[in-house]
Amino acid sequence: MLKIENLHVAVDDGLKPILTGLSLEVPKGEVHAIMGPNGAGKSTLSYCLTGRDGYEVTDGTVTLDGEDLLEMEPEERAAAGVFLSFQYPLEIPGVPTMTFLKTALNAQRKARGEEEMKAPEFLKKSRALAAELKMKPEMLKRPLNVGFSGGEKKRMEIFQMMMLEPNFVVMDETDSGLDVDALRIVADGVNKLRSPDRGMLIITHYQRLLDYIVPDRVHVLANGGIAASGDADFAKTLEKEGYDKYAA
Amino acid sequence: MPLSASNLPTRRDEAWKWTDVSRAAAGDLRGAEAAAPVQIFVPQGVTVTRVDATPAANDTSLQKLALQYAGQIWAIEVPDGFTAEQPIQIEGLTQGHAQITLTLGTGAKVQLVEHYDGDANAFVNSHLNVKLSADAVLDRVTVQTDPEDCVRIATTHVTAWANAELVQHTLAFGGKLSRLETRFAGMGKAVKATMNGAYLLDAARHCDMTSYVDLACPDGLIRQSVKGVTADKSRGVFQGKFHVRRPAQHTDAEMRHDAMMLSDTSEIRSKPELEIYADDVACAHGNTIGALDESALFYMRQRGIPLAQARAMLTEAFLGSVFDTLDDEVMRESLLDKLRGWLKDD
Repeated sequence: MLKIENLHVAVDDGLKPILTGLSLEVPKGEVHAIMGPNGAGKSTLSYCLTGRDGYEVTDGTVTLDGEDLLEMEPEERAAAGVFLSFQYPLEIPGVPTMTFLKTALNAQRKARGEEEMKAPEFLKKSRALAAELKMKPEMLKRPLNVGFSGGEKKRMEIFQMMMLEPNFVVMDETDSGLDVDALRIVADGVNKLRSPDRGMLIITHYQRLLDYIVPDRVHVLANGGIAASGDADFAKTLEKEGYDKYAA
Repeated sequence: MPLSASNLPTRRDEAWKWTDVSRAAAGDLRGAEAAAPVQIFVPQGVTVTRVDATPAANDTSLQKLALQYAGQIWAIEVPDGFTAEQPIQIEGLTQGHAQITLTLGTGAKVQLVEHYDGDANAFVNSHLNVKLSADAVLDRVTVQTDPEDCVRIATTHVTAWANAELVQHTLAFGGKLSRLETRFAGMGKAVKATMNGAYLLDAARHCDMTSYVDLACPDGLIRQSVKGVTADKSRGVFQGKFHVRRPAQHTDAEMRHDAMMLSDTSEIRSKPELEIYADDVACAHGNTIGALDESALFYMRQRGIPLAQARAMLTEAFLGSVFDTLDDEVMRESLLDKLRGWLKDD
């Protein structure tokens, strides 16, 4: 379970508070969606959970299955099973996708004291997954995300997620830049990863993605915290009514 | 006469303004007044002889020093049409002065491997004169791994005749001061040159990669890419010049220098220059200096790659591309291994 309690996060050297007392619990096996207006702090939450520099936690706690995430380096959080699907996936010139992913997978395994995945097994698994996500095999040989379209990059995020098999997934605006076909492929991938052992937090602007990935709970992030919560239908209400009544 | 500002270049010389050799060479350096213990290994069919050196009116101060202390010239001759699997290897440029000539006959094709691994507290001043006859191809690989207190100046003159080609790859780790200078003269039509290099510097090391390409005939093709990283208090210098003379029409030349500073206290100096008198040419130069991309680092760490490894991967990816043009795969892998070794230790 991901447990966030009274989280306060500030940026600009701690001068600008963004989250001011956010509390949220995402039990294993559940998918929660976070919606909210621009600038509410949705991306701040995703970066804070994954440990990006520049997001200062001034109060509160975040634990995953009882482990204190805030004490860990980003790579330690990854090894603990936290995966962030980036809103804008980075291009890594000169590093072939397969090399990148094999390094990441085996670094995580090493950190957990597990045996490394051997090359044949890795290749087999990655090829099967690439076919499932309708990715061209040559994409895996190219430097990671370099020259990929927006949709290809998002698909690559899902591919990485499926290869790394995290315990907890944060998806930051995964639907942005996707056409309907790509959206369906991405959603299928995410739905396939839904399991009783895995929690997911889906950050999104629009209700559209939630037609494909039906959440267990929907929360509104506004005024630095969770302003309202509901079931999957709540997303439709929000889409209709907007966020105005939650704004300060 | 010991080394001093009177017989060495100083910062007042424009070409040496960022590489203060007279200051670095001050004091009692090994080999300052001696010949280098040169060793040359050649494939069968290539000859090495010793010939007397003669002064020329336009000798530089460093050539004058070599003339004074290096003794006879080592002359390597590669016959017309010669090819070999085995490279020519130059070793022993560990301290002192040396003059070497390498002549490739018409259509000859060889690899030249030089390893600059100097002695502690040494001064090395080497001059290599290469003549590429028509249609000759020289594949030159230079690796410089001097200790931190070694001063090295390695100057190479290449004269290329029609259709000759130089393919040069250099991997350098700097020293108290290192200057690796290549002066290429295209004297025939359709000469080709690839002049790539990487420098990786830490501590207070200094490395200067200077080149001068002088084209006098049409249809030359020049590709140059030098990349570097500087850590700690090190200093990287790149000076590149393409001089395209009026008859050198249809020259196609590109020069790039890209560097990354891994510390705030390191320094990079760069001077790319084009001087063009022909009116139908394609010449370009580019120069960038930056730092490792923090967003890319975070992205890699989010996937579980530890910070040091993420840094090394990004740096290797950045630098390694200069060796893409090296056909000899074994050699390329060996250069990349040295590069990785540095990244691991750093």
